Amino acid sequence: MFVHIFRYRLKCLFKDKVTIFWTMIFPLVLATFFQLALANIGNNERFSPIEVAVVNDENYNNNQIFKTVLNEVSTGEERIFNLQTVTLENAARLLQDGEIAGYMVAETPVRLVVSKSGLRQNIIKIFLDRFMQTSSAAMAVRAQDFDSIGKEVLEEVSISKAEPNIHLNYFYSLIAMACFYGSLFGLREVMEIQADNSSIAARINIAPTHKLKAFIYSMCASFFIHIVELLILLIYLILVLKVDFGARIGYVLLTTIIGSIAGVSFGAIVSALIKKKEGLKIAILITFSMVCSFLAGMMMHSIKYSVSENVPILSYLNPVNLLTDALYSLHFFDSLSRYWLNMALLTMFILVFWFGTYFIVRRRKYASI
Amino acid sequence: MQVFKLCLKIIKDNIPTLMIYVVVFLGVSILATSSMSNESKEMASFTPTKTDIAFISDETGPLVDGLKEELSKVANFVEIERDTEALQDALYFRRVTYALYIPNGFTERFMGGEDVKIQKTTIPESYSSAYVDISVEKYFDLARLYLTNVENIAEEELVSKVLKDLSVTTNVELYDTRANKADTSYANFYFNYLSYSMLGVLVMGMSALMVVFSDKDIKRRNACSPISTSRINMQFILANLTFAMVTWFIMVGFCIMFNFKNSLTPATLYFVLNSFIFMICGTSLSYLIGTAVTNQEALSAVCNVVTLGPSFISGVFVPQELISQSVLRIASFTPSYWYVKANNEIAGLTSFGFEQLESVFSSILIQLGFAVAMFAVALVVAKRKRYA
Amino acid sequence: MVIRVKNLVKRYGNLVALDHLSLDVKEGEIFGLLGPNGSGKTTAINCILSLLKFDKGDIEVFNKPMTPESYDTKRDIGIVMQNVAVYKELTVYENIDYFCGLYVPDKVKRKQLVDEAIQFVGLEDYVKFQPKKLSGGLLRRLNIACGIAHKPKLIILDEPTVAVDPQSRNKILEGILELNRQGATIVYTSHYMEEVEQICSRILIIDKGKAIASGTKEELKNMITIGEKITLQTYGLTPEQISAAGNLPNVLSAEYNGSNLVIKSTKGKNNLESVLDFAKQEGIQFGTIYSELPTLNDVFLEITGKELRD
Repeated sequence: MFVHIFRYRLKCLFKDKVTIFWTMIFPLVLATFFQLALANIGNNERFSPIEVAVVNDENYNNNQIFKTVLNEVSTGEERIFNLQTVTLENAARLLQDGEIAGYMVAETPVRLVVSKSGLRQNIIKIFLDRFMQTSSAAMAVRAQDFDSIGKEVLEEVSISKAEPNIHLNYFYSLIAMACFYGSLFGLREVMEIQADNSSIAARINIAPTHKLKAFIYSMCASFFIHIVELLILLIYLILVLKVDFGARIGYVLLTTIIGSIAGVSFGAIVSALIKKKEGLKIAILITFSMVCSFLAGMMMHSIKYSVSENVPILSYLNPVNLLTDALYSLHFFDSLSRYWLNMALLTMFILVFWFGTYFIVRRRKYASI
Repeated sequence: MQVFKLCLKIIKDNIPTLMIYVVVFLGVSILATSSMSNESKEMASFTPTKTDIAFISDETGPLVDGLKEELSKVANFVEIERDTEALQDALYFRRVTYALYIPNGFTERFMGGEDVKIQKTTIPESYSSAYVDISVEKYFDLARLYLTNVENIAEEELVSKVLKDLSVTTNVELYDTRANKADTSYANFYFNYLSYSMLGVLVMGMSALMVVFSDKDIKRRNACSPISTSRINMQFILANLTFAMVTWFIMVGFCIMFNFKNSLTPATLYFVLNSFIFMICGTSLSYLIGTAVTNQEALSAVCNVVTLGPSFISGVFVPQELISQSVLRIASFTPSYWYVKANNEIAGLTSFGFEQLESVFSSILIQLGFAVAMFAVALVVAKRKRYA
Repeated sequence: MVIRVKNLVKRYGNLVALDHLSLDVKEGEIFGLLGPNGSGKTTAINCILSLLKFDKGDIEVFNKPMTPESYDTKRDIGIVMQNVAVYKELTVYENIDYFCGLYVPDKVKRKQLVDEAIQFVGLEDYVKFQPKKLSGGLLRRLNIACGIAHKPKLIILDEPTVAVDPQSRNKILEGILELNRQGATIVYTSHYMEEVEQICSRILIIDKGKAIASGTKEELKNMITIGEKITLQTYGLTPEQISAAGNLPNVLSAEYNGSNLVIKSTKGKNNLESVLDFAKQEGIQFGTIYSELPTLNDVFLEITGKELRD
């Protein structure tokens, strides 16, 4: 009987295009967009050079060192600036038209004129600060030997064995979201076992098959399909998008599987609890998953920290956050204690979902159909 | 005006659902905007907000104290227990975003000219940690400069000279202080984010309307009525536009309300104009989706991909400056890209002559072009589908 | 006794859906449950199947009390529900095989049963089709095949012909008779009295959850006084002629609406003849004349005072 139900459930679910879209295609598409948007950050690929101007006055022409250094960083493949040497009026005009981020006046100390503060303006300032401080020192010692400049003294010790990666949190919450979109499977399973939900379920209730057994068998099919989908997502992330999950890939896998079970079970209990139309149930599930993902930092990682700082209880009650957190702490901590804490909480959620669903589904007679 | 009236009635029936969209999107917009504009301020500010760091040193001495003094310009020091677990915990919960570890014997080896390293640990996504990096590097760069060029320099002398040099900084001047009094960054982010949230509401709301009309039997019944197809379509578009305008009005109104003190600038005017054009674009897009996709289930799938996708690659969620050129080139085939580009340009302007606004206007024109093109495609699709 | 229901009461809040309903279904018969929409037919079926909780009463199926866990009993029941209950993702064959598989674990035996069921409802040409590609009538046939493929001893059909074209309807009715010939006991609910009259050997009429009459169709028709209904199409009758028609022997009533004279009489052999004689005598010109035997509708009308049809 298990094989019979399991096999046919697989067939059914596999052909359910809407569910397949939300649980697999949508996360894949989202992952691709993430990667497209984030690919450049933290990569070695250079930002485009910053448009700047320097005022061509007496001071500038006399300050040979400034001139040389400025020209040096404005030429070549890896230049920081696209430099224009212009009159003060022209510099002002260029700035007004928004064609340059700022212009420099070679006074002591150098003056930087900008129209607003921003990342590019800041880079110019940092460059100028550094130039002046170094040249001040160099002048003081009449330095001949500049070799020591630019020697790195800092050594990044990453927090764990995995490479630090700004993208990871986005992908973690994406995986968590995909897990919880699995709730659509759970929703369908309950709809098709509760006789007051659908006539198919009524038909199954009349058959000489133990209802709870039939339900568990077909839930297994849901878990199976969803886990396969998540594996595809993981493979896509790792092999195609080259997301580096570090050495603990086995744990990532385990987390994903537990996440899948949590998601599917969540859908089941929501479907069992809310006795409304299917459309409304789906809307509730999708919205809930999205809001939880948002709070877990999928759109903006800083949200996650404001939640855990201001409303810590919410970060423990948000199952999507637990999943994201589990994956994140896997990457972050050497010790697994925090990971297991998250997993334990998640398992508790699963048990609550299961017991809740059991108490509703075990009922075999209905007050109305 | 039967069709128009009916459309308004359908919209009215759907108001509860639409309100949920508006409220959710508004909430997300406001949350995201405040979070993003803080982050960008941190990124952009010339005097960075001080980062909380853990400064762990196995030794003391002038060199180390000097470093600490220099770092105090950009950082607050937080006491952390000296073991990995505690450090990871502190980093994890953002009590500190940066940890620096100076090993025993560092000073001696450094003064001896050896290539020694300081270990640092950071959280990847913290921008402010870059300032700490720069401070540390500058400090030791200069120290090395003295070390190699002045023979037998004493540690104390070296440190005092380095600190003196480091006190020299660039004078930053705002070109037009008057114009820049208003902070456009909030509006900039809100309006950028609007391209996601407004598009979301428009596409979902209008497609709900379109689905009713694309029902085969209703379509046929309408086709049999003595009103011409073009008149039906016109009324239909009018209804869509009415809905879009109301949505636009609410969403733009909220931004101005939340950010009133910074809103009385010419920039606001152009933000509003830009978003209005984008709203027309959105209407056109929803009309196209509504005509091309008639299956309710497929519709929500398309809606999500169409609103989320361009937002990611066009610089709504991640600033355009940080996205690679090749991706931006793809993004330039979506109106969102031009909308965001125009917004960013408006935010950077200090004066609003035609010359300065030229590029903004061309972005707006391109959006209009998109609107017309999508509308034309929608009409073709509609015509083809009439007999389907 | 295949089904025995005693004093079944089911309330939905203040509404009494079943009011002390009792019924017996004997082995080998086609039992018709007739009643207007909302009279409680489906509710009764769902209670019998142990899908619904009920407030009072006893239900036995195959002489055993029916519970949700009565798997051995359930194995012998086939049910065709009012709504088409099939998976839209599975083909015709797969749907039948799935539901049959819940009853018959043995694969070889099942394949044979499924093939027979497909042949039985005449869906051989659509085996690989998905339900959405089937027309309403074919979908109903699939629905039936899913319910009866396991060759149950008791088949319950709940309005299986709603919204079905005449051709499919006849096919379905013939099929039911065939199943009965093969030995199955049938419970058939409908609000179409013609269908019930056509196939059922015993009928229970219910209204507002109450049993109002039961028996074979002849027995039911014997319960009421009207034996024959004669209609004359004619114009311009005088009140005297109408009352004279009412006074003819055996006649119960004569009603005239300006174009049709309806004469209802008790059972008798020469009713039509006496009406014809009367017409000749009075010189009444008529277009058509026809005589009808009473229908179940007349039975329902006489007992409840309202028409069975909407």
